[in-house]
Amino acid sequence: MLFNTINFALFLPIVFILYWFVANKTVRSQNILLLVASYFFYACWDWRFLFLLIFSTLLDYFTAIKMTEAKNQALKKFWFWLSISVNVGFLGFFKYFNFFSASFAEAMSNFGLHVDPWTLKVILPVGISFYTFHGLSYVIDIYKNRIRAEKNFIDYSLFVGFFPLLVAGPIERATHLLPQVKNERNFDYSKSVDGLKQILWGLFKKVVIADQCAEYANIIFNNSAAYSGSTLFLGALFFSFQIYGDFSGYSDIAIGTAKLFGIDLLRNFAFPYFSRDIAEFWRRWHISLSSWFRDYLYIPLGGSKGGTSKKIRNTLIIFLVSGFWHGANWTFIVWGLLHALYILPSIVFNTHRKNLDIIAQGKNIPTVKEFVSMLITFMLATFAWIFFRADNLAHAISYIRTIFSSSLFKIPYFKDGTLAIPAIILTMIFLMVEWLGREQQYAIAKLFTGRPKLVRWGFYYLVILVIFIFSGLEQQFIYFQF
Amino acid sequence: MKKFLSALALFIAPLVIISYPLDYLISKKLAESKTFAHDEYLVWNDIYNGKVNADIVVYGSSRAKFHISPKILEDSLHRTAYNLGVEGQNFQVQYLRHKELLTYNIKPKYIILSVDEFSLQKKQRLFNPQQFLPYLFWNSNVYKLTSSYTEFSFWDYYLPLVRYTGENTSLSAALGSMIVKDHSATTSNKGYKVIDMNWTDDLAKAKSKMEYFEIITGPVVENLFNNFLAECRQQDIKVILVYTPEYIEGQAFVKNRSQLVSLYSQYAKKYNLPFLDYSSDSISMNKKYFYNALHLNKTGAEAFTRMLIRDLRKAPVLQGIAK
Repeated sequence: MLFNTINFALFLPIVFILYWFVANKTVRSQNILLLVASYFFYACWDWRFLFLLIFSTLLDYFTAIKMTEAKNQALKKFWFWLSISVNVGFLGFFKYFNFFSASFAEAMSNFGLHVDPWTLKVILPVGISFYTFHGLSYVIDIYKNRIRAEKNFIDYSLFVGFFPLLVAGPIERATHLLPQVKNERNFDYSKSVDGLKQILWGLFKKVVIADQCAEYANIIFNNSAAYSGSTLFLGALFFSFQIYGDFSGYSDIAIGTAKLFGIDLLRNFAFPYFSRDIAEFWRRWHISLSSWFRDYLYIPLGGSKGGTSKKIRNTLIIFLVSGFWHGANWTFIVWGLLHALYILPSIVFNTHRKNLDIIAQGKNIPTVKEFVSMLITFMLATFAWIFFRADNLAHAISYIRTIFSSSLFKIPYFKDGTLAIPAIILTMIFLMVEWLGREQQYAIAKLFTGRPKLVRWGFYYLVILVIFIFSGLEQQFIYFQF
Repeated sequence: MKKFLSALALFIAPLVIISYPLDYLISKKLAESKTFAHDEYLVWNDIYNGKVNADIVVYGSSRAKFHISPKILEDSLHRTAYNLGVEGQNFQVQYLRHKELLTYNIKPKYIILSVDEFSLQKKQRLFNPQQFLPYLFWNSNVYKLTSSYTEFSFWDYYLPLVRYTGENTSLSAALGSMIVKDHSATTSNKGYKVIDMNWTDDLAKAKSKMEYFEIITGPVVENLFNNFLAECRQQDIKVILVYTPEYIEGQAFVKNRSQLVSLYSQYAKKYNLPFLDYSSDSISMNKKYFYNALHLNKTGAEAFTRMLIRDLRKAPVLQGIAK
């Protein structure tokens, strides 16, 4: 079930009403309802993978209890590694089996040995990367004695499978979500209204910005050999806004939906395209994943402590793993590597934490310096997105080669190009709204507050109208494949 | 909670209230467009407004729509005629037209049913789905016969405006009809569409892409076809199966064509129907009558309609077709 479908528009109010009017007597009954709804939501994709989700939940639930009850460190370590290896094993099998098999065969062919790649028709279970990371963080936190094992199976299952975050995050932490799952939740008018506004803005980002940009990014990327450098550059820009609108839109809908049930999820995006350097970009892009890697990989490896070579090693590891997390393709690994190269100078020279505030805070327009920094950061991110979007490395390289040719200065032209003008105008309006709301949790959180209801509601009706007109294109969310 | 629900209801109420009249307005204005959706609204409007009411109706795909002139039929047979051929559709949508015709119009006496290799083809996609937009809201016949295709979801049929989401071109056409009345000329005449073109390179292009192709028929469409013939017999509507001319070189392009033709012969035999097959007729050998392998041009269509009338008069089971 996708967030941007009629099915979800019916599912959500039904669950909402049952949650606050039927199951509102105890937290337990509310949690049972949310768990059943979450499993139904997940089963709408493929009910068979529900068993995998339940298995993963059971595994982490029991190993966590066993770790807490372990009489000695060796036993605790055993249960810890059992959980880690099974979780990573499943993720590896479903996500990377074919990649490793094909890469092995290719490597052998370089030595003159012919090995048929043994590939399987493995279907990637939706959300496996996300719920596996939920489980991993929980098990690691218990192993490190940061939290105690959750004894209530319903509560733990809801922590892993809560439907708004089940398939594409935000990747939650037990320390943040589990207490909310266990505590009584009272209806909060402001939080619910805020949730609805965030859902509306998320839908706008997905349906209007991402899907419109996807239409043209696909036309250009899928036939890139036929176009000039300027057109390919435009295609890369379209993809930059597609992926941002798609993923941050999804996150907004997820966070807004959770608010309707009185639950706060972790923030996942904080206007990343207004960043002044790559380090700031990574503090604002897919925050729940980057902070996960920081806490569970980067810091255990030593982080930015130690010598320069250690810093370089750790940065390279975290970005390569991050790239690989996105999928079994060399394009993602190069994408990660590129970001590592972008960020390395600031890590080495310890300047990566210089832009911790919000750009042009309290002002309407940035300074020239801020604007140039922002533009350079956006262009670097866009350049890296070419690898992320390309079918393979050869495609990405030929795409980039054409951009950096004399045809970059031609007027962009592509099939149905004139129809892209509304998409470009809408994206510019979107950027303006995002800029105006950059100090908030999401762009329209405080927009028109203090103005008459007619103005505020008029704006929301306008957003709904634009969604109505522009919906109906590509519906799938990019991050579902991860 | 009460405050939240009442505010939400207040916010949603105008959207719900406006959605029904807006749906009606968009549908009405879209249906007034003469050229959008391959001119099909003209025919659908005539069906739903009870303006067909003809003794002889022609069913089929574009090979009916472009090949048989109702005017020539009327002039020669002195009976009212209407061409209900619908472009790019197999028998499933042709049957939808038949059901709607019987619901809103007087029952025809004769049905000239153009059959070809595509009539019983199994299809997943609906060609030109925009033609159904103004008519599918709470319409059980349209739901039954189009919901198996991928183009529409359940909600498109039962919730106002849902089917118009993202339909930018349809909305523009409706808006255009609201601003100015559509006076654009159309070549359709009682459903018949004149294609005044000479031979094109369509066949050469198709051949360059593939050596041949094979048609896979679907049991659902076959059952529908069989049921239709049984229903017509029960309702005393005379059906004439016609395999209209197809250029000889194109005939060889469909690998299992002969099996499909014999399938129609079997149906004709089963229901004791005339089956007029023009595959080997002289008209199918002459390129000047076609603009591509499957479709006759204006000259070909007029010549063929006269030839068809001659053969209809001759058929023993059709005594009395000409007044």
